[in-house]
Amino acid sequence: MQKIEINASSKEINSQSRELNRAIKGAAKQYKRITIKNPNSMHYIAAGLTEPVDLTLEGSAGYFVGTMIHGAKIHITENAGWFPADNMTEGEVIIDGSAGDGVGQGIYGGTVVVRRSVGSRTGEIMKNGTIIIGGNSGFMSGLFMMGGRMIILGDVSEDAGESIIRGTIYVLGNIKSLGKNAEVIEVTDDDKKELKELLKAYDFKLEDEKFNQFKKIIPRSMRPFYGKESEEG
Amino acid sequence: MCGIAGVVFKDRKLHPVGDALTKMLEALQHRGPDSAGFAIYGGLGLKENEYLLNIEVKEKPGLLETVKNTVNMVTAIETEEIIPSVEDSIIYRCKIALKSFSLLKPLIMEIDKIDDVIVLNGSHSFEMIKDVGLVKDIAARYDTASKMGTHAIGHTRFSTESIVDRYHAHPFQSYIIPDITVVHNGQITNYWKIRDPLERKGHIFETNNDTECIVHYIADKLSEGYKLEEALEQSVKDMDGPFSYIVGTPDGVGIAKDQLGLRPGVMAENDDIFAIASEEMSLHEVMDTHNIEQISPGETRAYTFKG
Repeated sequence: MQKIEINASSKEINSQSRELNRAIKGAAKQYKRITIKNPNSMHYIAAGLTEPVDLTLEGSAGYFVGTMIHGAKIHITENAGWFPADNMTEGEVIIDGSAGDGVGQGIYGGTVVVRRSVGSRTGEIMKNGTIIIGGNSGFMSGLFMMGGRMIILGDVSEDAGESIIRGTIYVLGNIKSLGKNAEVIEVTDDDKKELKELLKAYDFKLEDEKFNQFKKIIPRSMRPFYGKESEEG
Repeated sequence: MCGIAGVVFKDRKLHPVGDALTKMLEALQHRGPDSAGFAIYGGLGLKENEYLLNIEVKEKPGLLETVKNTVNMVTAIETEEIIPSVEDSIIYRCKIALKSFSLLKPLIMEIDKIDDVIVLNGSHSFEMIKDVGLVKDIAARYDTASKMGTHAIGHTRFSTESIVDRYHAHPFQSYIIPDITVVHNGQITNYWKIRDPLERKGHIFETNNDTECIVHYIADKLSEGYKLEEALEQSVKDMDGPFSYIVGTPDGVGIAKDQLGLRPGVMAENDDIFAIASEEMSLHEVMDTHNIEQISPGETRAYTFKG
């Protein structure tokens, strides 16, 4: 069987996150595609989903949508609250609208795409994976980032890359200010090629000239807190 | 956690704002089960010198008469209503007239001297409804769905710092100037630093609750000529801690968020409605939320009828 619709406001689920997640996990064992009707900004939808299903939420999600997923592809047709895709290890979370704070917090892998603007602390403590923001990103984007890449097509607010340890933040718009241990360098031809492929894959259309305007935020030091002695040889 | 919400009907005509806010708060019920409250502006229709008192009275023989006598010694009770509540208490509501607003707070303090009696509030341009328990139960008890008005703010409480009772339910009100209310999610960590100067100016604090501190701070600023937006902006600079709070005034509502953005706040607006809340699901109850905006760290937003 290929696909199923689940109505989150049905009598059985009654807009209860736990009941909805139970229904999603049950359906994910039998179906390849699941559509959720009336998600109504419920919290932690699809938390811990480890089946490689395509899940579409027709509406908005609340906090922690797709937290700790491994392999699922989640498409949200409206907005998401705080911490979408938190600690995802593998998979995809695509949000057509805007999102709140902490988008992609702590992800170990996978891709998060938000087509419009997001709140603060985007990509905080992310270890790997990719985050793409179509609009602006708020205060302390990339806070304690430990790996992976973030692409922001709008502006970033104060303290971008605060205490960044590893990883890269590409910004097309303005950077209001940098956080501790963050610095801005030029993008290379390899960076531009990588950005072109990635953005094209997620339907972001940019003129060629735009790719020269990206700024690249990286860590100044790999060991900003513990001194110069490196453990990485 | 706590949930906060505010809604304004921009045309300043009477709308079923009580129903709108009830739905908004029910959507935030998961953020706080202890108590809930509403400040519904614009629908009371009182004359210029009239006020509505909400008084919690323990169900004890003769106590309500004592309350009435205390009020009557200052001014005649024009109308009265008893609303049954929980925990052996009733809410006694009465309409009174006073020669000036400055007499309201002294009257409230006089009534508060009676054992087992506490004045929840006294207002002119808004109706205060606050009680312990769930939104749906409070809404049914006070028939919030029937309340008409122009704008409103409300709260669902998850108690952290102070006790769970009607008085400590939000909104909190200040009497520095008429009809300023606040609902709050979070903590003000430099509470005494904010409170001390206000007390030195003569403003009276009834509790050690930080939400009371915010409402006096805002009312004090408004009394000094600040616009609501200016008062909110100054508060973000002056106050420490994680907070989002919404202010209600006779002319509109506003929200302020702490500089680290540690408490949530979202807003949506169209030609007819301005709405703010802790979460999108609350806004969704009153309007299409395709274009919601995150309130950024340190940001303030307001909608006032007087521009």
